[in-house]
Amino acid sequence: MSELEQYLKDHKPVVKDDPTFLLEAQRRMEQVAGIKGEVDRQHRHGRRALVIALCAGLVLGVAVSAIAFFYPVNPESMGKGILDSLRLFLQDYREYFLLPTALIAIALALILLRNKKGSAWGAL
Amino acid sequence: MTQERFIDLVRAEQEPLRRFLLGLCCGDDALADDIAQDALVRAYVASGNFLGLSKFSTWLFRIAYNCYIDHCRKPGREHAALESREALAVQASDASDSRFRYQQLYQALEKIPEKEKVAIVLFYFEDKSIKEISAILDMPAGTVKYHLSSGRGHLKQYIQL
Repeated sequence: MSELEQYLKDHKPVVKDDPTFLLEAQRRMEQVAGIKGEVDRQHRHGRRALVIALCAGLVLGVAVSAIAFFYPVNPESMGKGILDSLRLFLQDYREYFLLPTALIAIALALILLRNKKGSAWGAL
Repeated sequence: MTQERFIDLVRAEQEPLRRFLLGLCCGDDALADDIAQDALVRAYVASGNFLGLSKFSTWLFRIAYNCYIDHCRKPGREHAALESREALAVQASDASDSRFRYQQLYQALEKIPEKEKVAIVLFYFEDKSIKEISAILDMPAGTVKYHLSSGRGHLKQYIQL
């Protein structure tokens, strides 16, 4: 450890013992209790909306896949190789998959963003 | 998170938090405590967002650092800081004042860039790891190391050992 590093370690600032610090913080927290209630309420609503969007995307995706599988527009595509079948399948049904895919993607992106904020809050 | 639970968590962190801000405010304890109070209120309002993916102290320090940055950006801050420094200098002229011991350090910290100052304060005063500092400042570990090294270089110019 260099001399400077030792100097810094030896000169850690010392805070004054202040018993009123936490009491003052508590007093300020009570003043903003209403705001916190509103923030929590919005947070809960946002979380519920995300779960609904994710579930709707998954259910719609499964429904579209089932319909496409049982009622194929182009029955000939079913008999070809896996890659060709997949390509033709996506070509025939791309517009039906758009909504569920978009819902899932948006919900997942928002969940990831919120997790990042929660781990180290950058919004403040 | 209830207020009681939040206060319990804060009780263990209040001293490091106040010391961190005291270092950033270069010894102005009234200002440091004011920013700490502000940070605690903000953290309390946002505590519903805290998912426990990082340590509570990391999350709290990050909020405190953002409060400090907000304070630095306030207009008229330079004038207030100057007055505060002058007041500190008067108090520090009394050799019996413990502040005198830190005068050289605080004056040196004031002269170095903010990013270097915060990296130095977190690493040497708060004993935070590079990984924790990286999470608090939201910057890569390599950048933190660079600021630390650069900060040490700058401090050497201002501190007579």
